[in-house]
Amino acid sequence: MDIIIIGLLLGGTYALMAMGLQLQYGVARIMNLANGEILVCGAFGAIWFFTASKMSPIYALIFVVPIAFVVNWAIYQVMMLPLVKRAKNQGQLEVDSILATFGLSFIFIGILLAVFGGEFLTYSYLATPFLIFGEPYALNRIAAFLGSVALCAGLYVWLHWTRAGLTLRAIAVNPAAAGLVSINVPRASALAFALGGAVTAAGGVLLSMFLTFDASLGVIFTLKALVIVIMGGVSDVRGAILAAFILGLTETAVATLVDPGLTLAAAYVLFIAILLVRPEGLFGRRST
Amino acid sequence: MLESRNLSVFYGRHRAVENVSITVSASEIVVMLGANGAGKSTFLRAIAGQTPSQGGTVLMDGAEITHHPPHEIVEAGIATVPEDRGVFAELTVHENLTLGAHPRRARPHEAANLERVLTLFPRLAERRKQLVRTMSGGERQMVAVGRAMMSAPSILLLDEPSLGLSPLLCGELFRTLRRIKDTGVGIFLVEQNAKQSLAIADRGYLLDNGHIVGSDTAEALSKDEKVQTAYLGGG
Repeated sequence: MDIIIIGLLLGGTYALMAMGLQLQYGVARIMNLANGEILVCGAFGAIWFFTASKMSPIYALIFVVPIAFVVNWAIYQVMMLPLVKRAKNQGQLEVDSILATFGLSFIFIGILLAVFGGEFLTYSYLATPFLIFGEPYALNRIAAFLGSVALCAGLYVWLHWTRAGLTLRAIAVNPAAAGLVSINVPRASALAFALGGAVTAAGGVLLSMFLTFDASLGVIFTLKALVIVIMGGVSDVRGAILAAFILGLTETAVATLVDPGLTLAAAYVLFIAILLVRPEGLFGRRST
Repeated sequence: MLESRNLSVFYGRHRAVENVSITVSASEIVVMLGANGAGKSTFLRAIAGQTPSQGGTVLMDGAEITHHPPHEIVEAGIATVPEDRGVFAELTVHENLTLGAHPRRARPHEAANLERVLTLFPRLAERRKQLVRTMSGGERQMVAVGRAMMSAPSILLLDEPSLGLSPLLCGELFRTLRRIKDTGVGIFLVEQNAKQSLAIADRGYLLDNGHIVGSDTAEALSKDEKVQTAYLGGG
């Protein structure tokens, strides 16, 4: 029971960060390996606001999310757009963007180290027990989960019920045809990339409520988001959400039943198994 | 009126289309006939803004639209149904049609256009919630043409619409194109299927090896000996 509840709480928070990567990869077609660093920036932002002014991380979202949106939009315009224009095909863009964003991740780590130093940073927020079925769980985990669910739901509704959301889904499905229905694909891709970065940073803010962060932790979250997105399929939000819960449950189960040191290894076993058996993702469809 | 003047497209040094000039007016169907590899698709893609052109100009109602990106070409009133249909397979019929109405020029009339499209293709009305991926080739073509009509075009471009359709379905599609023409839309299609397309067209161009080698009324072309041997399988 413990495992299931903690796993679900964790998975719900992972879902948000995976939706960020999914927007960047599924719509903007940029496999952003600096995604985890954006998440760490969001977490550090929340930590900074909390230690400097005792600001609740929920309020910190109001500042962190727009800043992350602008920064990611600028990254797309300066760094990604030249690659998009140069790429002759999807494969070339993938290789170029992976290399470029891998480099970008080290730039972020360097900046974070310079500004915040190399220590582990954390803060104590809502660290009180909350009873579910008579068992105590940290209230900050529950708050992070609820925040993530609210943001995921908002994003889902926006993607599925608004014209702007529909255009982003259209690009994810068929970028060539998107131009034919008068979608400005370069502009919409920049928007999707910026939005993805903002969502990822929001995930970082929420995770910082119960996890300890240091400047070099980003890569772990990049890889987790990657596992979720590959598992769920790149073009379907519902797949990513379900995959996030699977990852949260798997990690918690392995950490509790086997060994906490093996959580990341377990995630990778899952990842490799899916790559081998269903490369299009659990819910993705083979392209025709 | 859509007009291309001496439009040329090169792939590297290879000349795919050279000095092609055509016009398409409102309420007419114009067909461009040519064998596989003659440059028909390239020419159409160049007009739609999907392939860069290297020489000549494209005009829509007198305004130059050469080198404009695809989304601006649509706003200028030119809707395209590409060879692969250009539908959004993972989205529903209704979502595809809604996307068709995305251009600013089409949004004020979205409801009226939707009604018109569903009258043209009653089958789409029954299947609004269905994913396009699960539909047959003929139904997908309906979605593609319907989606293009949702953007309220003055000119409709179609790249080999008969491809992959049975003669029966093809005939049905071409009859629909004629009804679209009767609403005032100018239609330009590139085809290999000379017989069925000349039957509905008003005029035609012959494209060979990237050059226009003939143009006439559809009626004259279907009687032309050259066309008979090249595209209609002999006498």
